[in-house]
Amino acid sequence: MSLSPQDLKQLFRRLLLIRRFEEEAFRLAVAGKFSNYHGGMGQEAIPVGVCYGLKPTDNTMITHRGLGVLLTRGVPVGEIFAGLYAKESCPTRGRHPIFHMAAPELGILAGTTMVGSVIPLATGAALAARIQGKPDVTISFFGDGSVNRGDFHEGVNLGAVRKLPIVYFCENNFYAKSMPLEASTAGGSIIARAQGYGLPSELVDGNDVVAVYEATQRAVARARAGEGPTFIECLTYRWTPHSTAGDREFSRTAEELASWKAKCPILRLRKQLIEAGHASAEELDAVDIDIQREVAEGVEFAEAAPYAAPEVALENVYV
Amino acid sequence: MHKISYQQAIIEAMVEEMRGDEAVVLMGEDVGTFGGLTGTTVGIIEEFGDSRVLEMPISECGFVGASVGAALKGVRPIVEMGLADVSLVAMDQLVNSAAKMNYYHDGVASVSAVYRLWSGFRPGGGAQMSQSNEAMFAHVPGLKVVMPGTPRDVKGLLKAAIRDDNPVIVFEPKGCYTLLGEVPDDEEVIPLGQAEVKRAGADVSVIATGVMVGKALAVAEKLAAEGIDVEVVDPRTLRPLDTKTLVASACKTGRVVVAQEASQFCGYTAEIAALLADEAFDALKAPIKRVGGAETPMPLSPRMEPLVVPGEVAIEAAIRNVVG
Repeated sequence: MSLSPQDLKQLFRRLLLIRRFEEEAFRLAVAGKFSNYHGGMGQEAIPVGVCYGLKPTDNTMITHRGLGVLLTRGVPVGEIFAGLYAKESCPTRGRHPIFHMAAPELGILAGTTMVGSVIPLATGAALAARIQGKPDVTISFFGDGSVNRGDFHEGVNLGAVRKLPIVYFCENNFYAKSMPLEASTAGGSIIARAQGYGLPSELVDGNDVVAVYEATQRAVARARAGEGPTFIECLTYRWTPHSTAGDREFSRTAEELASWKAKCPILRLRKQLIEAGHASAEELDAVDIDIQREVAEGVEFAEAAPYAAPEVALENVYV
Repeated sequence: MHKISYQQAIIEAMVEEMRGDEAVVLMGEDVGTFGGLTGTTVGIIEEFGDSRVLEMPISECGFVGASVGAALKGVRPIVEMGLADVSLVAMDQLVNSAAKMNYYHDGVASVSAVYRLWSGFRPGGGAQMSQSNEAMFAHVPGLKVVMPGTPRDVKGLLKAAIRDDNPVIVFEPKGCYTLLGEVPDDEEVIPLGQAEVKRAGADVSVIATGVMVGKALAVAEKLAAEGIDVEVVDPRTLRPLDTKTLVASACKTGRVVVAQEASQFCGYTAEIAALLADEAFDALKAPIKRVGGAETPMPLSPRMEPLVVPGEVAIEAAIRNVVG
């Protein structure tokens, strides 16, 4: 369960891939190549830390900022870009936003656009594992913007009362679109709500990929042992606007943003790797160059990919 | 054949399907030893245990969402929603999630789930325990909707719904629950999307859904004595609709009454009337007449019922209007 230097380098690569992908995605969206992009820049440590130790048979249910989960679980870069372009060469074939895509073989559950509605869906996947006698664990990701939805309470309650193999995983970046947490969420604490459901909980530094990994591993082990759900709240910050669709910043200050940029999860791990002597700066720079090439190739793939024929719109309404 | 009630037919269908396929589970409020709000889960937990009969807390968004998530992983849930009115609480998960998964995900995320809704009027129910909201669901691409009107149909159609790989909404009108009828002893699965001519006639077609089927048949018997030969057609499945059988009946008689229990405006039978106006126009000898509920929420007082709930009187008046 403890991470080797090799593991840490793998984590670094995955973190950086998300960052470089998002930089490119923002550039392309602003340039009008596709309609919109919901980024989570600055939050990379969470998807990487959570997914790194999962088995492909474990399930993840993501939000509309789920890029990092898709990449870490193995969806090819080019397919995700093709999804952003709404091209044929992606799992939804241009019918549905890529961040709600399904990839059963990678454990990626089909999602929904409705904020918070993913929580009961994820709970159902955990219920299925119980019914079918499978050892699979489900990770239900959601943001702080979800925790005032009825679906949050109904889903977490159901998972808790049935002791299902699930981890309720809150990525708290302090803003739901433009709404600051203190204005939206009574009681002053998200994690305190776990207590109301009798769930063990952990408050984790969401910019520390190792801490996220370790907390997830503890929760997954509990779930697999039949001890029921764990509630994890990760504190983090979204550097970028809610989306690229001309969103204005309403509440956030430049000072606040700067203070979180100073806690960059990628620079943090880079420093850690170099200081511990696990990697040289040159080695990590070479990883960066390799990743930038992978991203550029993904964009090329998506640009060259065809759009699905209009008639594809009429298929698969029913099985 | 054996004679059972509509309610008993539902139990038989579920028990047989649960015996035949261990992926089938039953979910809902009070579906355990309590036997369900509808009385249709009596004895099921005793046979299948609490690993397949899953009692749910009152949290319709939660457990309907969970049923969709479980279906994505290969479970085949039968979800007892209790009152059809309660389904509105879970509309997001039914319409945004269940109905669209297979489409969005290009066929890799089918939702094989059945949602059973106890619908329509029952004395003393009032406005939030009496709705017949089938048109809301029939409007949604990705959902299938059935509304059986007889014991035989509910058994055969519910079995088909449970075997279907799509989300199916089953409307079970309260007014049908005590109906008695013959049901085959051998297995009968009635395919979704097949209407049935319940009574052949030459003069006028009454196309009726749910509880109105039985009422239309009663009116037909009465008018036969006067020499008016009424054909009664039950679509049985509202989506996908068996347009062929309906158009054939309209073309045969040239006169059509459509009847539903729900309030009339934007109701399901408007779709049938539009279909026939389009595909049977040349055969029609009179305007299509509609029978439906009043444009009000359902009142509580039994004195108000006759004004609001459509019955045999309204069907008879509509028939006389089109044949007159």
